[in-house]
Order: sequence, then structure tokens, then C-alpha cells
Amino acid sequence: MALRLLLFLWIAAALLGGFLWAPLVPVLGDTTRVLYFHIPSAWVMSVAFGWSFVHSVLYLVRRRLEHDDQAGAAAELGILFCIGAAVSGALWAKAKWGTYWNWDPRETTIFFLFLIYAAYLALRSAIEGEEKRARLSAVYSVLAFVTVPFLIFVVPRLYATLHPSPILPQGGERGSIDPPIVLCFTGMLVGFTGLFFWITSLRVKLARLERRRNLAETSAA
Amino acid sequence: MSQAPPATAAALAVEAQGLAHLYTGRRGLLPVDFALAAPGVVAVTGPNGSGKSTLLRLLAGLLRPTAGRSLVTLDGHAMPPAARRTMLGLASPELAFYDELTSLENLAFAAEARGDRAPRAAALEALERVGLDTRAGDRVMTLSSGMKQRLRLAFALLHRPRLLLLDEPGSHLDEEGKRLVERLADEEGRRGLVVIATNEEREWRLAAERIELRGRGLGHPA
Amino acid sequence: MPPNGSSSVAAVWAILRKECRSEWRTRYGINAALLFAVTTLTGVSFAVGRLPDRTDLLAALLWIVLLFAALASLAHAFVREVEGHTLTFLRLVASPTAIALGKLLFNVIFLAVLEAITVPLFLILMGGPPVRWGPFLLILGLGSLALAATTTLVGAVVSQARGRGALFAAVSLPLLMVVLAAGVSGLRAQWDGNPVSAEARILLAYIAVVLGASVLLYDHLWED
Repeated sequence: MALRLLLFLWIAAALLGGFLWAPLVPVLGDTTRVLYFHIPSAWVMSVAFGWSFVHSVLYLVRRRLEHDDQAGAAAELGILFCIGAAVSGALWAKAKWGTYWNWDPRETTIFFLFLIYAAYLALRSAIEGEEKRARLSAVYSVLAFVTVPFLIFVVPRLYATLHPSPILPQGGERGSIDPPIVLCFTGMLVGFTGLFFWITSLRVKLARLERRRNLAETSAA
Repeated sequence: MSQAPPATAAALAVEAQGLAHLYTGRRGLLPVDFALAAPGVVAVTGPNGSGKSTLLRLLAGLLRPTAGRSLVTLDGHAMPPAARRTMLGLASPELAFYDELTSLENLAFAAEARGDRAPRAAALEALERVGLDTRAGDRVMTLSSGMKQRLRLAFALLHRPRLLLLDEPGSHLDEEGKRLVERLADEEGRRGLVVIATNEEREWRLAAERIELRGRGLGHPA
Repeated sequence: MPPNGSSSVAAVWAILRKECRSEWRTRYGINAALLFAVTTLTGVSFAVGRLPDRTDLLAALLWIVLLFAALASLAHAFVREVEGHTLTFLRLVASPTAIALGKLLFNVIFLAVLEAITVPLFLILMGGPPVRWGPFLLILGLGSLALAATTTLVGAVVSQARGRGALFAAVSLPLLMVVLAAGVSGLRAQWDGNPVSAEARILLAYIAVVLGASVLLYDHLWED
């Protein structure tokens, strides 16, 4: 209970700090503030993806349904953060370079991860039977995971060779960045990660309770 | 069934330890324990939904148990579930063959896939044993349900397995067919272990030993 | 007698022959795939006309036609088993890996037959600069292998779910983007007179990765 409150206060503080207190990054101007939302979302999207994959493998090895609960819950949250990252990224791109979508490497990555998440969730909803659903979605999850390096590193490069673009947005906001910005940004990063794990644990608990109830119902019959 | 004659039939044992297959909302097998040894014929009986077919599928390695385990030992080697298909034969009602291929082609395919050097000969021999050799060249889609059942039996016997699992072997069979089942159970029961899952008294009378499953019914509240 | 290497090879070979024989007897799969490919091709040709010099469009359209035809038909090998209830029979006769590899080889042959008819038709209808057959066949071959490897595993998974047709396409597509991108880039390069080594290497790496993962995953496909 206290932890939940702390999490909310933490995120609120980081957000307010970022919007009201930290200065702007010179290169980005007013759009600096997207930093606090867009990149943490993309970060969580990747964390969720990795978390889902790890638990898929664990399920195949150990055959405990808790792992499937984790994999499914992580994917459900992951796709939400993915959409958040994509939309905020598109708005940012529009504000900064004039177009919503450019198929630059980052946008391509987000798009493909979205497709894979969506396919995974569609597959899960189409299979009847808990252990069958767990097993088959885990198989798909592992297959998808091994192709992701190609999607992230290879495909964008192929696209660039096919369509060399005059506007090549660079994501590098490196160089010296003011400490307050880094502070709020890191705060958001940590806060979002905490949010992800907290909500995931809630969904896992829910799944476990549902299973226990179903088992009790059929045993009583 | 503990005294085995020397020579051939010894050294095949099938054991279940707390073997169960239970998923929410589905019929299943409640935990069961037993220890069997070749030679002989064993019957598995129980009400509908008590898990007779499930038990056979678990023993065959086609299903993964939700609790407990099954052990199959052949000549001192433990046979893990994935390897059991090479030393057992299963005939069960949901076993279906390729309709567009002939009986002979179906069985020859099975023999070839198992590494048999003379698949057609093995297939013909199995078909003869169940009285289907006259229909060897006919496509499975033209066979009656009784003949399909004989084909299932032929498939189970194909590679002369030491462990034979028969799930309701007499279904769809006429009188002559049922006598065939009795003959087969008797012959195979001398050289190995035969497990028959059935509710037919005529069939479980073939067995010297009987495992009775208590079910939890059809899985739906009344 | 525990299973050994040679019986697995025998199993794969037996399954491949069985698939070919079954397909030949019914011809249901290849007919549907060919019809689909030719119809799509006709539609494209009608809408776009000849493209003597647009190598980018040519490469993309050829792959799209092939991809669509593949997605419409390659799950067939597994769906047939599920609908005919013959999976138990198969599983008693061969290991999951042998089953999957047999189906994979069948899918490769299936694609080869499909392409043998569709590709010449495409070149005739759409025109285009002269083809450099070496690189062209290399990219086409590797791309098809990649297609088959991916769709075999996905097909095995999806055949056990409901709503198979659209689901199969939706689930395969994200993974196949790699094949599409490299395939299109490669075909375009060979038409433009550029080397295709980069794309060929990408496809080869992809095939290796997918097959490597598949061999570990096949055992988990069927357990009830």
C-alpha cells in the first residue's frame, strides 16, 4: 500500500520536475519534454518484451503456469507502452521535423515490436486450454525473439539503402546535458519500470486467483 | 502377474506412480498407482470420463502428466515417454489414417518411418493378421468402420511391439472381429504385455488382472 | 529399440514421400495456391501494366505475390493433419522433429513448384530488365527457404488454434518482414546490376537462426 503511494509520488515528482523545473535541451527546444515520456515508454516496452520472453522459456523448461501468467501479462502491458511510445514519438517527429512517420530505425523497431506483440496476443486469445495456450504461445514467443535482432538492426538498414532520406533524424541527444534533466529523466525511467512491474504483478495475481477458482469449481462438481 | 516364464517375455515392466492428468474444466484422470509386468493381459475399466483413454495416452507418451509419472522399463532400459512409440502399439478410437492413401500405403508408411527395412512386407503381414489383406489396395475412405477398426489393430501390431495398448478394441466389430480381438490379446499376452481399456465385459474377461478407475464423472456439475 | 539417427532420416524421408503422395492424390493445396498466385498476378498486371524499368516495384510486387500465395497455402500441411485427425498416427510413428522437418521439406518443394509457374508468368506479364539468373535464383531460393522455415513452425502452432487462416497470416507476417525486406532488396539489386551478397548473407543468417530455434522448439509442439 505504502509502496504504491511512493510509486505515484515518485512519478509525479519526476514529471513535474521535468516539466516545470528542468531546463530545455538546446537542440530540442520546447519538445524536450517528450523525453520524459517517450523514451521511458520505449524502455519499458523493451523490458516487457524481454520479461515475456524469459518467462516463455521458463515455462517450456519448467512447465509451471505462473510463468505463462507472467509472459502474458508482460505482453499486455508491453503493447500499451509500445503504443504510447509510438504515438508520443510520432507527435515529437511532427513537431520537430514536420512528418509523423519516417521509418527511421527507431520508428521501425517500435512498429515491428508492436506487430509481434499484437500477433502474440492474437494467438493467445485463439487457443483454448490453459496449458496448450501457454505452450504454443511460448513457442511463438521464442521464435519471434530470435528474429527481433534482424528486425531491429537489419531491416532499417535495408530500408535506408532502398530509400536514402534527405531528412535523417538523429536520436543522439548526447553531449553535455544539464543534471536536472538527467535527474528527472532517470526518475521517469525508474518510475515507469516500477509501474510496469507493479501492474504486471497485479495481473499475475489475478490470473492465479482465477485459476484457483476454476479448479475449486470443477473439483466441487 | 509376478512370475514370468524365463526367456522371452521377461523384463518389461509398466508402472504408474501418482499418475494424473487434470486440467480445469476438463475430464481427466485422478491419481492412480499400479505396477505391471509382462507377460499377461490387464484390463482398465471405469465409468465414462474416468480417464481410461487418457491413461493409455499417458502410458504411450502422447500426453504429459499433470502430476506423478509413468515408468516403462524394457530389458533393463528405462523408456522415456518420447521414445516409447518405438516399442509399443496403440489402437484407440480417435486414431485415424490418411483417407486418400490405401491401407497398405498407410501401414507401409508407418513401417518405413520407423526404420523398417522391408516396410511393404511388414505391412502386408499385419494386414493378413487382421484379415484385411483383401482390402490392402483400397483407399481408407472406402473402408467401413469395422474395417477401419481392424486397420487400427493392424497398425498396433505392425512392428511386433512388446507392449500393446488397446482402447475399446471391439468397437465397430462384428462377431468374427471380436473373436479376432480375443485371439490377438491371447497371442500377444503370451509374448508381452497387453493393456485393454474397456467397458465391455467380454473384453475385460480376457484379462487376468484389472485396474479400476474411479472417475469424477463427465466434468460438469449435474 | 531406442530411436537413432538413421531412423529419424528414414522418418523424415517417409513423411516427405507421404506428403507428396497425398498432395498428388488430392491436389487440393497446390491448386488453391496456384489459383491464388495467378489471380493476384493478373490483378497486379491489369492495374499496373508493364514495368520495363521500375526495378523497385518489380522486386516488391513479385515478392508480395509469392508471399500472399505462401500465406494462403503453407499452413495447409498441418491443418490437414489436424482436420483429418491423423496427428496421433503421425506422432506414434515419428518424433516431432522428424514430422516438422518432413513437412518443411514438403513446403520447400511446394514453394518450388509454385514459383516455377508463377515467376516466369510474372516476368512475361510485367516485363522488366533482363534477369541475371545466378543472383536471381539465389535470392529467390534463399528467400523461399526462409519463408518455408518460418511458416512451417508458425503453421504447426496455428493449426492448433481456432480461426486458422487469418491468424496464420497475421502471426507469420511480422517475422517474414525480414525475408520480404532482404528479398526485395536483393532482387532489385540484381536487376540494377549490383551485387546481392549482403542480402544473401542476411537471408542465410536468418534461415540458420530460425532453423536453430526450430529444432529446439519442435519437441514442444504436440503434447495432447
